[in-house]
Amino acid sequence: MINYRISFVVVALSIFAVFLLAACSDDDSSSSGESAVSGSNTLQTIIDRGVLKCGVNDNLTGFGVVNSAGQFEGFDIDFCKAVAAAILGDASKVEYVPLTASARFEALAANEIDLLIRNTTWTASRDRDLGNDFTAPTFYDGQGMMVKAASGYDSIESMSGTTICVLQGTTTELNLDDRFTSSGIPYTPLTFETNDPLQAAYEEGRCDGWTTDKSGLASKRAGFSNPNDHVVLAETLSKEPLGPLTRDNDSEFYDVVQWVVFGMMQAEESGITSSNVSAMASSPSDPGMARLLGVGFDGGEPSDFSFGISVDFMQDVISQVGNYGEVYDRHLVPLGLTREGSLNALWTEGGLIYAPPFR
Amino acid sequence: MRLYKELNSKNTIADKLLFIRYDRSVRKLLIQVVFSTFILIFFWYLISRALNLELGYAHLTSRSGFGISHTFLSDYTSNQSRWDAYIVGVVNTIRVSLVGIFLATFLGVLMGIARLSKNFLVKSIATGYVEFLRNTPLLIQIIFWQLVFLQFPQISKAWTFGGVSLWSNRGILLPLIKSDENGSLLAFILLISFILVLLLRSYLNKYKEERTNFISPNLICVSIFGTVLLATYFLLNINLSLDTPKLEVNKYGTYIPSGGFTMTPEFLAILVALVMYTGTFITEIVRGSIQSLPKGQTEAAQALGFSPYQRITLIILPQALRSIIPPLTNQYLNLTKNSSLSVAIAYPDVFMVSRTIMNNAGYALPMLFLILVTFLILSLIISLVMNLVNNRVTRIGT
Repeated sequence: MINYRISFVVVALSIFAVFLLAACSDDDSSSSGESAVSGSNTLQTIIDRGVLKCGVNDNLTGFGVVNSAGQFEGFDIDFCKAVAAAILGDASKVEYVPLTASARFEALAANEIDLLIRNTTWTASRDRDLGNDFTAPTFYDGQGMMVKAASGYDSIESMSGTTICVLQGTTTELNLDDRFTSSGIPYTPLTFETNDPLQAAYEEGRCDGWTTDKSGLASKRAGFSNPNDHVVLAETLSKEPLGPLTRDNDSEFYDVVQWVVFGMMQAEESGITSSNVSAMASSPSDPGMARLLGVGFDGGEPSDFSFGISVDFMQDVISQVGNYGEVYDRHLVPLGLTREGSLNALWTEGGLIYAPPFR
Repeated sequence: MRLYKELNSKNTIADKLLFIRYDRSVRKLLIQVVFSTFILIFFWYLISRALNLELGYAHLTSRSGFGISHTFLSDYTSNQSRWDAYIVGVVNTIRVSLVGIFLATFLGVLMGIARLSKNFLVKSIATGYVEFLRNTPLLIQIIFWQLVFLQFPQISKAWTFGGVSLWSNRGILLPLIKSDENGSLLAFILLISFILVLLLRSYLNKYKEERTNFISPNLICVSIFGTVLLATYFLLNINLSLDTPKLEVNKYGTYIPSGGFTMTPEFLAILVALVMYTGTFITEIVRGSIQSLPKGQTEAAQALGFSPYQRITLIILPQALRSIIPPLTNQYLNLTKNSSLSVAIAYPDVFMVSRTIMNNAGYALPMLFLILVTFLILSLIISLVMNLVNNRVTRIGT
């Protein structure tokens, strides 16, 4: 006769033992802590997975927004597509993960996304403390303040004693405080997690001003029913260089992202667009163009910089997404953000868009 | 198979083993020992993994650099440390939780009794309230109330009710009693005398039955308290004034409300949403425990000529309290934890401040652990108080 109690104990024992063995064996592999001390190979993960996971904004027209057809589109979105085109050969193989400003760094650190392109400012603390690596900025922005035209405010000094709406977890929150308290101007911040209740509060007059990057202000202002009721003050409160970022200790993937961005800038400088890239690839006009497009010049060998992806990745990028100028014109010019005379012009035209040589 | 009664001698190994298998108490002990060993191994494993994590809190001493919109009883500025910012967040959470608990209990008891009313209108209002607000998500309700409070007029056209208070979409300002420096002495004396008078009252109530000709203890206590109040006020020459809210316009045309006591739309929205939502659950708890009482209690009270108010306060509710208190504690804890949803509408509770610190300095895991410990302490305090109340109420023959 079987003693059911003993057999129960034996079965429970064995389940526990299996569980313990499985858990103990996980101890040897690297745990996902706050900062990946051991290096991770995101590039290989993406190639194996076959899709790029990109953290994006879904609520900022021009940079990252869901259009009426349910597709993500925007300036940052196009850079996600470019990286996917470079690594996987297909710009559509991207999984977009919309993130709020306060959740974006946690998602990147926790491996939920491979790449974060979400109008994120490059700062020292985000580079080191939060364990990220920033590529060269794709958009040089500054912080601005938007007020109602009827209020008559024309400078930061005139906004003494006002209430100002700001997003939580952004550099704008800290810059706002720096600017106001260093000048001794009293104010009250109202910190929201997402833009929708913030916009409602601003429109109802709960707060007198709305502060965020000037590009964001232009985007939101264009979306109001009457944009002329709102005015963006002339003063720029801070530098806000926006760009893509990856995790620390992820050099292979970081280099790929970095040089895709540089490649798009160089393509605009060299005059390569999505319409003429195939013609340029079949007969490049100079060795520099040949190296950029991964073809041989004058019958020579194509240059391979050992990125770990196909040699002609820039051809995929430019033909499927376009060069830097095309991406900018497609998304940011409709918002009224012109390039002439701004920091976002090419270096040959007085701006800061400068790509190191493809050599 | 040998029968157990033949196993008198435990000389051979086989005998010993069979003894372990067949003796009931030994078997129970063996199973408990084995099971507890595995529980201990499991917890040791968890703790050793947890100790591997770095819990650094040094970043909390550095300058915070961000402002907070609701600083209650503190003069927090962005120059202070992150730890001070965290304390401001904790105070905000406690503030909204305490006020919410009181109001939700009041509303819940009222609505619970209303649901059992024979008046059709009262009953349907209570039923509609419960069924509608219980079944919609709390976050939606919070955002709804925020939009409602934003519909108040702009600050430049605020409603002033006889100049006493100010209502606008920047908040509701109510007058406050202010005093000069002797005011804290007055408050202190009032507090001490209030506690002493309560003790006196319970003493007098204990011996109420033995005295044949007595003045009501309540009357004695109120008159003592009133005398102390007036004596202190006149003897100490305390100047009390009413601090009414005023609207000033600075040179740039900004309307700045000052004075009085401010309740911002964010605080009101989260408070009202939490109170209405938790009130529905408390309503159902109260209704359920009243219904669980034997109907004979109500009938006997009616037969004895109690008025409905006396019936509820003297007969029904004291007995129903026994089964109300434990689920009520649950709802209080739920309210406290639900207050962390306020991040959606810019009310800076502890979760929102921690999130900002996490975004600025990293160290997500230590901050989350700190929030965990904070909520644990708050919840333990609430359950401790409620357990004391429960013990008092379930004492036979209170």
